[in-house]
Amino acid sequence: MASTANTVHGRVEQARVELTPIQMAAGLLFVAALGYTLLFMQDPLVHDSMHNFRHAAGIACH
Amino acid sequence: MLAEYLTRGVKAGLVAGIVFGLFMAVVANPLVVYADEMNHAAAEVDGGHEHESEAAHAHGDEGDHGHEEGSGHDHEEAGHSHEAGGHTDEGEGTGHADGGEGHHDTAVSMAVNKAVSVISGGLWAILLGGAFFGIAFYFLEPAIPGTGAAKSYAMGLAGFVTVSGAPWLVLPPASPGAQQSLPVSTRIPLYAGMMVAGALTCLLAGYVYNRLRASNGRGAAIVGGILPFGLLAIPAVLAPTNTIQGALSPELRTGMTGLFVFGQVLVWLLLATTHAQLRSSNSSQTDPSAASRGATLSAD
Repeated sequence: MASTANTVHGRVEQARVELTPIQMAAGLLFVAALGYTLLFMQDPLVHDSMHNFRHAAGIACH
Repeated sequence: MLAEYLTRGVKAGLVAGIVFGLFMAVVANPLVVYADEMNHAAAEVDGGHEHESEAAHAHGDEGDHGHEEGSGHDHEEAGHSHEAGGHTDEGEGTGHADGGEGHHDTAVSMAVNKAVSVISGGLWAILLGGAFFGIAFYFLEPAIPGTGAAKSYAMGLAGFVTVSGAPWLVLPPASPGAQQSLPVSTRIPLYAGMMVAGALTCLLAGYVYNRLRASNGRGAAIVGGILPFGLLAIPAVLAPTNTIQGALSPELRTGMTGLFVFGQVLVWLLLATTHAQLRSSNSSQTDPSAASRGATLSAD
């Protein structure tokens, strides 16, 4: 932990050392799935269920 | 170490999520439903009038809209808002989707809408906590201005500006039933673009602050760190104007917008405060010098 410099670059290096490629791939896949769901899943059931929330969060999209 | 940061961010999100979920249940849900009902009532007055006068050809040529699967009460309204021929009040055959909630069909019941919205409020804060106070904080912590709790609050400010503040300069929170002049296909990239602009502005502000802090002192660094936020005015001025109209009075619309802004400010403030507390308690547990200082103080 103390071996890497306390910089943003150091943190990136540290994450690269600590995380295995499988873990990184799983994390990226999870984020991609989450992003896809949030951005593109405009299915009426999901979209309309969150109607009140979307207004309260200031993200109305109708 | 990343897992530790992520856990802390999600914990902060859980605390903020419980409060925002309550806000959804107690304040936002009833208010949005009330506003929707007002819009429905206004739409029925307009629509009923129109329906009578134009009933003869209103039926029969509806159907190229995909609007029909709504619940029963909406179907009655569909008659007047849908006349796909040349006489629709929206002036375009499929324009109802961008119109007010008064005409807005829903695929779910009100109970489901309310319950899912409350849960979404909680998960929203957890998502923000994990993404910003977990992952982003892990990587950016060395570059975030300030020390101790100030870093958490700086991240909270940056998060708010990125997710809500910058996009709202162009697309402020719309009250239920508001008719917006820009189509959804324009507003989504506009919102996303302003999020990117907000994030870049925050990174620039942090960079300027750190550079000036090292060379010119704290006062100059604070002023220099604030200035980049003025750059957000450029895309806000250049973006197309989104005119908002609706059945609600302007005062009520303004009040609801203010309340929704307050809700998001509350989320970020809770995230930052909880995160600062968790960091503080964690560092006092793991830092032996702090522990020994505490022991010395208590011994004294």
